[in-house]
Amino acid sequence: MLETLKLTKRFNGHVAVNELNLAIKPGEVFALLGPNGAGKTTTINLLLGFLTPDAGEARVNGTSVAADPIAARRHIAYIPEQVMLYPRFTGVENLDYFSTLGGRRHTREELLLLLKKAGLPAEAADRRVGTYSKGMRQKVGIALALATEAKALLLDEPTSGLDPAASHEFSLLLRKLAGQGIAILMATHDLFRAREDATRIGILLDGKLAGEYATNDIKHVDLEKLYLKHLRA
Amino acid sequence: MIVAIARKEFLDAWRDGRFRIAAAVVVVLLGVALLLAWQQVGRARAGRAAAAALERENWLNQGEKNSHSAGHYGVYVFKPLAPLSVFDRGLEPFVGTTVFLEAHRQNQAAFLPAQDATAMRRFGELTAATGLQLLAPLLVILLTFGALAGERERGTLRQVLSLGVRPRDLVLGKALGLGAALAALLLPVALFGAVALSKLPGGDAGGSWVRFAWLGGAYALYLAAILGVCLAVSAVASTARAALATLLVCWAANAVIAPRLASDFAQRLLPTPKLVDFEAAMNKAVQEGIDGHNPRNDRLQAFAQETLKKHGKTRIEELPFNFNGLVMLESERMAGEVFDHHFGKLWNRLEAQDRTVTWTGLVAPLLGLRSTSMALAGTDFTHHRHFSVAAEQHRRNFVRVLNEDMMNTPANAGHHGGTAGRALLEKLPAFRYDPPPPAHALRAATPGLVVLCLWAVGAWTALLLVAPRLKPN
Repeated sequence: MLETLKLTKRFNGHVAVNELNLAIKPGEVFALLGPNGAGKTTTINLLLGFLTPDAGEARVNGTSVAADPIAARRHIAYIPEQVMLYPRFTGVENLDYFSTLGGRRHTREELLLLLKKAGLPAEAADRRVGTYSKGMRQKVGIALALATEAKALLLDEPTSGLDPAASHEFSLLLRKLAGQGIAILMATHDLFRAREDATRIGILLDGKLAGEYATNDIKHVDLEKLYLKHLRA
Repeated sequence: MIVAIARKEFLDAWRDGRFRIAAAVVVVLLGVALLLAWQQVGRARAGRAAAAALERENWLNQGEKNSHSAGHYGVYVFKPLAPLSVFDRGLEPFVGTTVFLEAHRQNQAAFLPAQDATAMRRFGELTAATGLQLLAPLLVILLTFGALAGERERGTLRQVLSLGVRPRDLVLGKALGLGAALAALLLPVALFGAVALSKLPGGDAGGSWVRFAWLGGAYALYLAAILGVCLAVSAVASTARAALATLLVCWAANAVIAPRLASDFAQRLLPTPKLVDFEAAMNKAVQEGIDGHNPRNDRLQAFAQETLKKHGKTRIEELPFNFNGLVMLESERMAGEVFDHHFGKLWNRLEAQDRTVTWTGLVAPLLGLRSTSMALAGTDFTHHRHFSVAAEQHRRNFVRVLNEDMMNTPANAGHHGGTAGRALLEKLPAFRYDPPPPAHALRAATPGLVVLCLWAVGAWTALLLVAPRLKPN
């Protein structure tokens, strides 16, 4: 579903992503771990078509992102570190607008149900999102992924800044989405969440995949050790 | 998709408290400007009509005098205010309201409303036209500066584009929604203007409704151009603040700097003579013609010989008509040629200056709009010229009738003919001015409309060109 083939991106001579090869299947959660500047967000931007690769290719559902970014994006839902919404609109209005832009029209009842599925309290749906916490906005983002029936989900530090309860709730939702066959790529610093949620983990250093592991094969402690080992290498 | 984006933009604009306050201020100002102008124009039109009636009474009751003296007694004619001066006063405050018609002279319109105004006028006069020309663009700037740059800064642009929205659709949707918000704001003002026009006695004169519709189109073009420019700037600016600063600089250049520079440029390129020089040159040219008051005038002597020869007579007294009347007619004819030449040259020059200012609108669209607005409202120089020509035509007609009366009066009735009684005075119709049809206004407005069309097409082309390059970061 999500593929990168020798994907390379340079900024002023600095290689941000270096011949990266990834393949994420439907129902898989791939956690991309790495320090700041490792190239995680650049990889997501390349998959979204916001950046043009210098070499290699990114594909979404078989569509080359560089050749047809609009078509590629039609299969994707994107949840950044901070889901940005229109503060003068309510949660349900935001969801209605974004899902319409994503090519899906829903009735108000359907939208309310999607927000409920995403874990947003019912009373919040008709409140302007200017009053929402970060966790609530992330839930609207999840509801949007549900509303657009996206085949792939790109998450950029989605749990950063969330309290443990909200973070846990978010994890449950992610697993549910993966269970529905959505391919998920999650860029994160959070080793714990990566180990908890992902089916595979890749460690990205200087734009290169330094290691790739199946989460079933490693424990939390091992993951931390592996990560630090790669960092020091 | 475009409709969904437009709908969201429309709602977002109306939910924005800053926009609502600014919009309310602009609408109230425009409404008050229209109301005050409606009262003022109504009073002025009634006042001028009453003055014209009184002047007619004075003319008819001037008492018995010889017909040439009646010509010198003269008559004042009053320029009726164009109904659409309710909307755009144009040059009205700076050109005269009244012309004194008398024998031998073509006078310029006198009594400028600006002369009676306070020093505050130098800060400009608030009319619906100036409000729309200066304040509405500020409102467009307020509405649009963050439309794309602000979304980029907040991160919502990234969110929107990640959904597979085509940047061109996004930009068009925004333009449509913001344009609709602006239209929803200005349509009531337009309706108020239409009501004011319909309630103005004689408000339909000169094809006012056709002109009103064209005015609406011209202002829509102007605001569409401004909207296109603002969105294009917002699309390429790195931050909303940078977009706002750029747009405010553009507004100041368009609204404050360009009009002054353009009029100075036009005056330098096509200078007009000083009034004193103009009148001196015209008087000199008139004196070179026949002076009916000076029997020693060489041309008069020559004309007398020619007339005697034509009628086969040897003495003036033998002519079958009063020769003095013929001399006056000929003198007026020759003076008329001089006036036509000098005034024509001056007026052509003034119109050329206006056209130059209009074409500099290719740099600042306000200049194109301003001339279009004045032309369509009937308050530009071409309309003033139309009135001046009509007044002069009336002068020539009434002086001709008086001179013909003198000519048909026995020569022994006196040097300047017989008595002009009430019967003769009544034969001279009161001045009636028919404003030119909308076709005249459209001809005058054409350069400005072309400028506005070019701006609108250019701005929207630029917007559509920058749209595909819209970056989320």
